[in-house]
Amino acid sequence: MNEAGGKLRQGRRQILKNNPMHSIPVSVLTGFLGSGKTTMLRHLLGQPEFARTAVIINEFGEVGIDHDLIEASEDSFIELQTGCLCCKIRTDLAQTLQDLLRRRDEGRCVPFERVVIETSGLADPAPILQTLMTDANIAGRLMLGGVVTTVDAVNGAGTLEREGISQKQVAVADRIVLTKLDLAGPAKPVLLRRLEALNAGAPVLVADHGRIDPARVFNSGLYDPRTKSTDVNAWLAEEAHGHAHARHDGDIQAYAIVRREPIQAVALTLFLEALAEHCGNDILRLKGIVNIRESPDRPAVIHGVQHVFHAPAWLDRWPSDDRSSRIVFITRRVPRRWAELLLAAIGDEVADVPVGR
Amino acid sequence: MSTPHDHEKREPDFGRDHAAKESPNDLACELLAQSLVAWRVAGSVARADDGALVIAGTGKDIRIERAPPHAMFRWTVTVDGRKRVAISLVAVLRQVREALDPGYAAIRVRIAVAPLVKS
Repeated sequence: MNEAGGKLRQGRRQILKNNPMHSIPVSVLTGFLGSGKTTMLRHLLGQPEFARTAVIINEFGEVGIDHDLIEASEDSFIELQTGCLCCKIRTDLAQTLQDLLRRRDEGRCVPFERVVIETSGLADPAPILQTLMTDANIAGRLMLGGVVTTVDAVNGAGTLEREGISQKQVAVADRIVLTKLDLAGPAKPVLLRRLEALNAGAPVLVADHGRIDPARVFNSGLYDPRTKSTDVNAWLAEEAHGHAHARHDGDIQAYAIVRREPIQAVALTLFLEALAEHCGNDILRLKGIVNIRESPDRPAVIHGVQHVFHAPAWLDRWPSDDRSSRIVFITRRVPRRWAELLLAAIGDEVADVPVGR
Repeated sequence: MSTPHDHEKREPDFGRDHAAKESPNDLACELLAQSLVAWRVAGSVARADDGALVIAGTGKDIRIERAPPHAMFRWTVTVDGRKRVAISLVAVLRQVREALDPGYAAIRVRIAVAPLVKS
């Protein structure tokens, strides 16, 4: 390459490195053992849209196999084999992501535009999401693109019956992908009912021998890189509009709290603190749009995983005429009524606090 | 006495915007009852003749009272005769939880370092 070309490439790398508009989406691909994650990923990586994708595969066990099944560029492919991502090697994950970014910045790997983390089948996705939210060295440059969970149509219902971790993988998903329908035939109503009970908000897609439209699977976070906009209604999904229809499946419950009256900023802060303080481990995921009394025209968007919360994001305007606050909870045995009362009680107590603008 | 299932008898959206519909003591009573459920602690919450909230069936003698007007705090919590003040219901919950749940360790909120969306 000539000198001018080299400088141009170096300059482009610097822009990509420093410009927050170029945060790289990270998608978490999870699902129980044998649910078809690797097959789907192998198909996706063959699609033009996924040409610039860095892949991190976490295998549980001494001998990794999944990476042999994936055809990907060596320099943007990393296998973590030291244990289960969720509980043992969060530091390794953060380090791996840092290394990937460094290699990208230095031009030592494909300038990937997306990262996919395939978890082990036994992984709890929540701590992985927390790592993405809290590690200062990566969080500024990476953003959560969404959680995709594969469910095996043959064994999925039984797995969900037996395995708590499988329930959690489904509960936190932004997209659910049914696999192995060629073996199972049409999805069984019992499985679909179970998925709806665990996570009615996530669209259920189908992969045919791993084949699926990439655009439907990823980009399921609050920010859509395709449209370069936020789609809060799609992100909040059905739960936020289901009003009183709480859903539960065993220990896991999904429900929405809806309030028409604006909420003071201090009340929201105290509410989230109290939720974390008393039930932090059981808040699998929380997301919402909130009418803050001090900011009536610019709603706040909140997102939390267990006790880790993003600072509120402020939208430029309300996405629709509905200005009610809607907070979606996916919890493990956190009573809806308790959350409602807690918010009401805190709101009541801070009502005499002067409202600032 | 308030039990965890009282709310099921009310309108489905009772929880919405209802801060203005109930007195602080009513709200506190039901919140405490639901808190026991959330914490998976057996017990019940009742109102004593003097208006204090009493948590029973937990092996601890716990009374929660509204503070007098113009006090610097809103509540007092008495556990087995030891009285402490609380500036808010959140503080009441913390004291009651500490009394009832020996293994309780408060989890502090952690704020993500990156924004939720690009700005």
